[in-house]
Amino acid sequence: MTSSIYLHDGSFEGMLSAVAFAVKSGGSVHGIYDEKSYSVQLFDMVVTVPTDSLQAEKLFSYLKNLGEYAVQFTINGFLGEERAVGFHLYQMVQLCLRHGARALELYRDDSIRYLSQLSRRVNGEAHRLSGLIRFRELKEDIYYAPFESDCNVIGYLARHFSCRMGSRQWILHDVGRNISLHWDGSKVQSIEVDSAFTTYVLENGEVPDTHLGNTERYYQQLWQSFHATIANPDRENRKLQRQLMPKRYWRYLVEMRGN
Amino acid sequence: MKTSEKLTILADAAKYDASCSSSGSSRSNTAGGIGSAAMSGICHSWSADGRCISLLKILLSNDCIFDCAYCLSRRSNTLPRATFTAEEVADLTINFYLRNYIEGLFLSSAVYGSPDRTMADMVDVCRLLRKKHRFNGYIHLKVIPGSSPELVRQAGFLADRLSVNIELPSEQSLKMLAPQKTKRTIMVPMQQIGEEYSGFQRDRMKSRNVPCFCPAGQSTQMIVGASAESDLQILTLTENLYTRMQLKRVYYSAYMAVNTSPNLPALTSGPPLVREHRLYQADWLLRFYRFQAHEILSAAHPFLDDRLDPKVAWALRNFDLFPIDINRASYEELLRVPGIGVTSARRIIATRRLCAIREEDLKKIGLVVKRARHFITIGGKYLGDHTMSHQQLVGAMRSAEKPGSIKLLRETRQLRLF
Repeated sequence: MTSSIYLHDGSFEGMLSAVAFAVKSGGSVHGIYDEKSYSVQLFDMVVTVPTDSLQAEKLFSYLKNLGEYAVQFTINGFLGEERAVGFHLYQMVQLCLRHGARALELYRDDSIRYLSQLSRRVNGEAHRLSGLIRFRELKEDIYYAPFESDCNVIGYLARHFSCRMGSRQWILHDVGRNISLHWDGSKVQSIEVDSAFTTYVLENGEVPDTHLGNTERYYQQLWQSFHATIANPDRENRKLQRQLMPKRYWRYLVEMRGN
Repeated sequence: MKTSEKLTILADAAKYDASCSSSGSSRSNTAGGIGSAAMSGICHSWSADGRCISLLKILLSNDCIFDCAYCLSRRSNTLPRATFTAEEVADLTINFYLRNYIEGLFLSSAVYGSPDRTMADMVDVCRLLRKKHRFNGYIHLKVIPGSSPELVRQAGFLADRLSVNIELPSEQSLKMLAPQKTKRTIMVPMQQIGEEYSGFQRDRMKSRNVPCFCPAGQSTQMIVGASAESDLQILTLTENLYTRMQLKRVYYSAYMAVNTSPNLPALTSGPPLVREHRLYQADWLLRFYRFQAHEILSAAHPFLDDRLDPKVAWALRNFDLFPIDINRASYEELLRVPGIGVTSARRIIATRRLCAIREEDLKKIGLVVKRARHFITIGGKYLGDHTMSHQQLVGAMRSAEKPGSIKLLRETRQLRLF
């Protein structure tokens, strides 16, 4: 029997539906991809799986029963936006059907290792950005933070800041994916940011001066001078600094401006 | 004086404090308040020396009445002096926090007036933040040696972490270099914090209405290389602090020559960074690898080897205990193999529940094979080289050191040549 390729619509439910479909088909699986990232190749047996909420729900509750690792691997696998993740999730489900939840710690297996590393990367980036996000106080008493990330971690960040900022309003803006979330003091909502504003932020790494609150520049300067002063010249180690805070994040960091 | 000038002076004086962790406390926001503390701690930036910045690390004042030989802010130095008001510190903390520059405040201070007066002012800053501004972020408060038990107690209810700097590893050095500080004035508050911390934690098991007393525990810091103590003395002291005083962390700070004094290393000497690095590695062995100080160092070998990881050095000295079999060894035995850390030891145990580990799996599981292979067998097969002499083995382990360690070693060597 030839092995098949399963395609889904790129949503979380779609991905789960495709994995569930592949498991149920019982045949051999060559890959499970988002249809947008796939171009047909010769001799490929391609099946497009329609999104089926019921199947997705069933698979997800099976994964929930397996424990936290399975859920994390699935959600973070999706947020990691890697092309190959569907196939590895399929392999994970197959292993778990055979060995139970213990299989999730079988690090010698390539798929488990892949998912565990991907999941760590997503969690790691969410954690790192929860520190590297820089809010700017805008005129309307809203705190606005633009950022770019490798993985889609805005959801994790929104959860983090909604527990933290209390009644103050904020907007998190993933400039690369152009997704933004707004906290009004009680709930998080998706909103649209003006496209001219977005372009300006993307180009300059900073909000246009006319939008900034009165004291914003003052605190930015204080922070810059604190950041410069707290370093110990006798122990200077720029390479280590770059290792721990990679340059791709510097664009929106107030303290690294001009570096 | 403008706030910005004060910030420069008082942040500059605070840069010698090694600690900047914001971990160990899980505090949630309250109605109408701002902030929370994450158990894991969060780093917000990294400075040019590669150290993480997670807290607004400042002194309340650098106007010191003490005259400690090693300290830049000592009374006999001529330099600009400044003192923050409580409102200034609170304003900076809140505004930096809202912009997500920091995880909270690390407040230390020079001693002005008297230890009690300084400590009372520092507690006032915390009270202002917690009560008036309803700040629920992280606060690390330095305790001034010699401050009264009542103030220490108040500080414990407001801060997440307290620390009393032990400064130097022995009483003689303290006498020589920090004449106004005594072992007693340092150890008494430390002991009090340790006891109250454990006491309140015990009571919280019974009722969650019991208040938290410095939930992230206490830490301390000592200067390495300013006085003549051996690594054995330092490590034994560290071990005692962990086991008897319930400390969460001991920080080492390589001595940086800022003053001239007949009792101190010369101004031109660089900070002993390699020694500090090796001490931290040994400290990790105490905290996470179930080692004891007397296993790592002995009276015959009171100093850590510059060129070897202390765990590797231990394994080479006790080579008769090896090789051990990956598929049979217990967790404790695995932890002692060079090249196996806490994560990979756990993974080995988890994988073994399902199936035996093969040679080709080792790297996948995350072992550093080039270090571990000399110490393990797999299904009876020794992965190292039988023909190697002990000398060759030492050489092989030296070149298999972590790149970071090798780099640090090379750079300090080069410095010494000039």
